Amino acid sequence: MNSVASFTVPTVSHTQKSSDGLAEKVSVRTLDFFYGDNRALKNVNVSLFKGHVTAFIGPSGCGKSTLLRILNRMYDLYPNQRATGEVLLDGENILQPGQDINLLRAKVGMVFQKPTPFPMTIYENIAFGIRLYEKLPKSELDGRVQHALQRAALWNEVKDKLGANGLSLSGGQQQRLCIARTVAVRPEVILFDEPCSALDPISTAKIEELIDELKEDYTIAIVTHNMQQAARVSDFTAFMYLGELIEYGETTKIFTTPNDRRTQDYITGRFG
Amino acid sequence: MADVALQSGVTSVTEQVDRARVLQRLRLSDAAFRHLTRSAAILVLIILGGIIVSLVHGSWPALRTFGFSFLYTEVWNPVTEQFGAISPIYGTVVTSVIAMLIAVPVGLFIALFLTELCPMWLRRPIGIAIELLAGIPSIIYGIWGLFVFAPFLQQYVQPFLISVFGNLPGLSTLFAGPPYGIGVLTAGLILAIMVLPFITSISRDVFEAVPPVLKEAAYGLGCTTWEVARYVVLPFTRVGVIGGVMLGLGRALGETMAVTFVIGNAHRISGSILAPGTTISATIANEFTEAVGDLYTSSLIALGLILFVITFIVLAFARLMLMRLNARLGK
Repeated sequence: MNSVASFTVPTVSHTQKSSDGLAEKVSVRTLDFFYGDNRALKNVNVSLFKGHVTAFIGPSGCGKSTLLRILNRMYDLYPNQRATGEVLLDGENILQPGQDINLLRAKVGMVFQKPTPFPMTIYENIAFGIRLYEKLPKSELDGRVQHALQRAALWNEVKDKLGANGLSLSGGQQQRLCIARTVAVRPEVILFDEPCSALDPISTAKIEELIDELKEDYTIAIVTHNMQQAARVSDFTAFMYLGELIEYGETTKIFTTPNDRRTQDYITGRFG
Repeated sequence: MADVALQSGVTSVTEQVDRARVLQRLRLSDAAFRHLTRSAAILVLIILGGIIVSLVHGSWPALRTFGFSFLYTEVWNPVTEQFGAISPIYGTVVTSVIAMLIAVPVGLFIALFLTELCPMWLRRPIGIAIELLAGIPSIIYGIWGLFVFAPFLQQYVQPFLISVFGNLPGLSTLFAGPPYGIGVLTAGLILAIMVLPFITSISRDVFEAVPPVLKEAAYGLGCTTWEVARYVVLPFTRVGVIGGVMLGLGRALGETMAVTFVIGNAHRISGSILAPGTTISATIANEFTEAVGDLYTSSLIALGLILFVITFIVLAFARLMLMRLNARLGK
């Protein structure tokens, strides 16, 4: 656990900006996670910064996705899963029992490994999320749907078939539809859980481009198995191994001069 | 196939001969399999066709005598040999409608509770209870309905309904008359209990088949459990749910024994659902032993033909509904 000491980013409180202009949006402190009796995360400390992309890498089963699913409390859906420690979103601990989970999930959107369009039309897929929170007149709703689809670089491909079923799109388009759906409810944080693992290289490139554009306005976390992808899209990288956060720092630093032997072994492909 | 693998070490000439023989044998068994499955499928068509032909043939005397008026005449008089089918048709439809109005929402709610909300330790007991409910023979529902349920309704529920709705315009005819205990409402309620397990267990099975990640995506937007169920789970499983509902409706339309016990078996149409009535299957079950004349027997068979047609219409309607649902969802 000496690895935690290897932070290259200073820990800052949520309201302050550090000297290099980083604003801490999400702060994970001494987080443990349990599947029943199995301790899946061990004393994890990590920060997500506003306007930046943080990538989580590591071999399968190291707890990357688990960590992501804590940030919007998705684990709450399942019995026998619990988290201890603190996850601060703008300084508020979201693990507190009193936390409004629906509100939290509106603020912390998630895009999954496989595209998950809802069984409805393309238009409804987007409008559905908006309607959960706002009652808008039709024209304004249309505008919001269009804007969300434009943000997800999908508008030109679907503008003539908004009434078609979301499932009629290709895999890459479905994934961008899901991103549009997430963006449409105006979250503050977006979590990507291996968003490109089911996509072809061209679709992957589009999604990566999209993440790069979205980071201006959002705090983004991405779990990926693809190390080139982590290096391409992220500003910070966290390497996890067997439930521990081994090393966390600026992406260029992690990929060029990692402090920990295990990080180096992983990024050079010696295990994982 | 094991032979082929074993002999692969032997000289190539014998190997080829053997392989040809094995392939020949496989071709034969494949053809046999194909013919077997095809004849099984054709058997269904033959049986169905046979039933239709015999129903039409058997009901021909009645249909020839009464013509289309058989469908809308209320008289059912074995003495004068005047027969009309409208009151059993009415009773069949109304009892089934009452049953579905109750069983569909309750069944879907149970299934949603079991799959989305129920704590693990309670799932099995409720699930098993539902399956047991489906396993109870209809004769038991019949005697329970007649000796326990109908008196209970007569004493407590029906007087309450009459006093509450009896004076409301529109509803007053629906709940008019004395509380008989047995009647259309009682039959509908018994049917609701009988079809509930079908709708519940099929819906539960299809709800469980919804990919967890799809539900997580909806929860991830901040949906409540109700919103996930209404906008994601139900549309995703619509084909299966409608299938379950139709299976239940099919049973409600055709259920004989339990209904015969509690419906009162009166050949008349009453505006009140508290009044006794009859259904097609109850009429046939009650009267086929005493049907002496050819015309009487033929009229009963004609009732059977009508039930067959009603079931067919219901199935066609279900298809149509599914097509319209798909169109609305953009597929």
